[in-house]
Amino acid sequence: MPKIILDDPDQTLSMLRESVETLATRVDGAARLRRRRADGGDLDRDLWSEMAAAGWLGLLLPEDMGGSALGPAELAVLAEGLGRNLLTEPFAALAVLPGQILSAIGTPAAATIAQGLADGSRITPLLWQDAQGARAPLTLAGNGEAMTLSGTAHFVTAAASATDLLVLSERDGVPALVVLPARNGPAGSGGITVSSRPGLDGATIGQVTLSDVAVAQDQILAQGTAVETALQAAIQITRFALAAELAGVGAKALEDTVAYTRDRVQFGQSIASFQVIQHRLVDMWSDAEFACSAVTNAVEMLTEDTPAAAAQAVLAAKARAGDSAVTITRRAIHLHGAMGFTDECNIGLFNKRAITLNAMLGQSEDLRLEFLAQEMATKSTAA
Amino acid sequence: MSTHPDYNAMSDAEFRKIFRDWVDVNCPQHLRFMRKQRPTFDEVADWYHALNDKGWLSPVWPVDYGGMGLDAAKHIVYVEEWARLGCPRIPDHGIGLTGPLLIEHGSDEQKAEFLPKILTGEHVWCQGYSEPGAGSDLASLRTQAVRDGDDFIVNGQKIWTTLAHCANWILLLVRTTKSDKRQHGITVLLVELSSPGVLVRPIKNLREEEDFCEVFFENVRVPARNVVGEVDVGWALAKSVLGHERIFLGAPSRPEYALTRLEILARDRGAFEDAAFRSRYARLRLDLYDLGSAFERFAKVLREGGTLGADVSVLKIFCSELYQRITEEMLTVAGEEARYYDDLPVGDAGGAIDVMNLYLDSRAPAIFGGSNEIQRGILAKAVLGLPSR
Repeated sequence: MPKIILDDPDQTLSMLRESVETLATRVDGAARLRRRRADGGDLDRDLWSEMAAAGWLGLLLPEDMGGSALGPAELAVLAEGLGRNLLTEPFAALAVLPGQILSAIGTPAAATIAQGLADGSRITPLLWQDAQGARAPLTLAGNGEAMTLSGTAHFVTAAASATDLLVLSERDGVPALVVLPARNGPAGSGGITVSSRPGLDGATIGQVTLSDVAVAQDQILAQGTAVETALQAAIQITRFALAAELAGVGAKALEDTVAYTRDRVQFGQSIASFQVIQHRLVDMWSDAEFACSAVTNAVEMLTEDTPAAAAQAVLAAKARAGDSAVTITRRAIHLHGAMGFTDECNIGLFNKRAITLNAMLGQSEDLRLEFLAQEMATKSTAA
Repeated sequence: MSTHPDYNAMSDAEFRKIFRDWVDVNCPQHLRFMRKQRPTFDEVADWYHALNDKGWLSPVWPVDYGGMGLDAAKHIVYVEEWARLGCPRIPDHGIGLTGPLLIEHGSDEQKAEFLPKILTGEHVWCQGYSEPGAGSDLASLRTQAVRDGDDFIVNGQKIWTTLAHCANWILLLVRTTKSDKRQHGITVLLVELSSPGVLVRPIKNLREEEDFCEVFFENVRVPARNVVGEVDVGWALAKSVLGHERIFLGAPSRPEYALTRLEILARDRGAFEDAAFRSRYARLRLDLYDLGSAFERFAKVLREGGTLGADVSVLKIFCSELYQRITEEMLTVAGEEARYYDDLPVGDAGGAIDVMNLYLDSRAPAIFGGSNEIQRGILAKAVLGLPSR
């Protein structure tokens, strides 16, 4: 059955795979998802703490930031395992994305926050998107003692659970990364309003409005091109993590569907013996295989020091894994028949999770066009 | 015959350079990127003989038989560079089919008789497997061979026999025993096409080329010494030939070439200005890129000394269907010009794109080598373990 195949000379990857599977035997991902959904929650802090204790939240972070200093191969295996087991805490959006920005900035203040992220004590979502997911206008005004931050950010992960908000703002056209305590500061310092809407995969999605929130100089973690560079690099590695997670979601949904169609008997025989079902399952398997090999390719390109090739490989991997997972899980619902249309059956959760992850940081169509634009630009430079 | 350096001891990069440099100089320019996918022996004879003189005609035969003895990793390099340089396909049923079958299962006399003549081009082989009633269901073949003294007498008909009209020998699957188990009772015979009672009739394909044939056998006498292996157990032999070479049915070279043609046509016709086209083109481009990643996953298995499982045919399905989707997009870009049968001019320098040639050619790979539906059936059972009815 499809999985992300990687060289594993010192067995690190197989141990990591095993530790995800071990957690999954204790923690029923689907049950946790349903509970969080019923509670209107955005994060299961107990499970998040377990993930921190396992060293997963700081997987990529350097050791002096409380991390494990591991690389793309380990990230792929971990994210694949989370996807397979429907462990839907927001690993990519809440651990990888802010973690990578903080580690790229690398100042002592950023490192302190990263340590809290890694050990699970601080929940530090990034505020940077508008209502359609593009860059939000979050404005830092004033100078010195009299700075304030205003604007509304959408798609804020774990907004209600947050301890700190990382705000990607602009001051006079120059990017500035600001950290705010998630709760309102002293009276008169302006307000932070958090609201939320239900998300398809059972976690609420936050909107945060900042109204003239006072900002002190030491809350500005970085300014200028360093911020932009950190953001772009973090987006790339987060897309890669999403691709691996999607590959896991698709592969497991396929396996469950193969098992279901083998067990399901109609007209006196297993429906998996019918040719039309077999060919559909083979196409789903093919999609899952291609997703896994696309992620493997991205691991190799990220590991080699070839930035342009890595950029292409990550775009391709997320586009492929996203399309594959969404398509596989949609077909999986169908092949489960009426049972697939029930909330009780887990297969629908796989589809909802696939759609959610696929929608983050660029749908497949956008990523393919970005790939093409990059390639055309390279060609015309070469010509 | 020259003595070879040990190619397998070289790095892939080193071998790639040596191979590419020589081929680029020695493969005639007028044979590069031919519009014909299957040129006849005469059309490419110079190239065939040049390869043999160099000792590079047969990449995987053992060195003792005049081959290069390449391992799978080097063979992949050989095939990749061949495609990249646009070298023409040579009539390769001798090199790729009869040769390996004899090396594996043939008698010493058969090897001594037939292998050298394949290399010199004296014997040009074709493959006599399919019949009018036995295509995808090959085991139902009915061409009959009956023992008569030192000979077999063959009666029946083969069809879809590629380039039989340009060959002089045919590797024939015949029925020697009627059995309840259809795979039993099939025998491999080596038959000279000039034997009395053989009639070869070319069939025009969709491209109006004569590239495959019908071959009729009426009381054709074939010496019993031309049986390969044992009588009645030829089915297993015929199935054993394709080892690691199944990976090449999914090699990205055809869709890759077609996509370069589509890009040129689309630029010339201004299609990239159209957002809808860009979207469709990007999907094709990424499908090709991802086919490369998937191909690499299987190639890596071979490089590390592993063997391929049934799952490799996922490449053949994806590759052949991608090739079709690319050429279908060419028709869309061509617009009203899709009515033309000849090539479509591009640019001011007399260039042209063979849209219809590629479109028609792309119909075939989804059918041959086990149709894609047959492949899906095999994958369902061998990889997914799904039950039979």
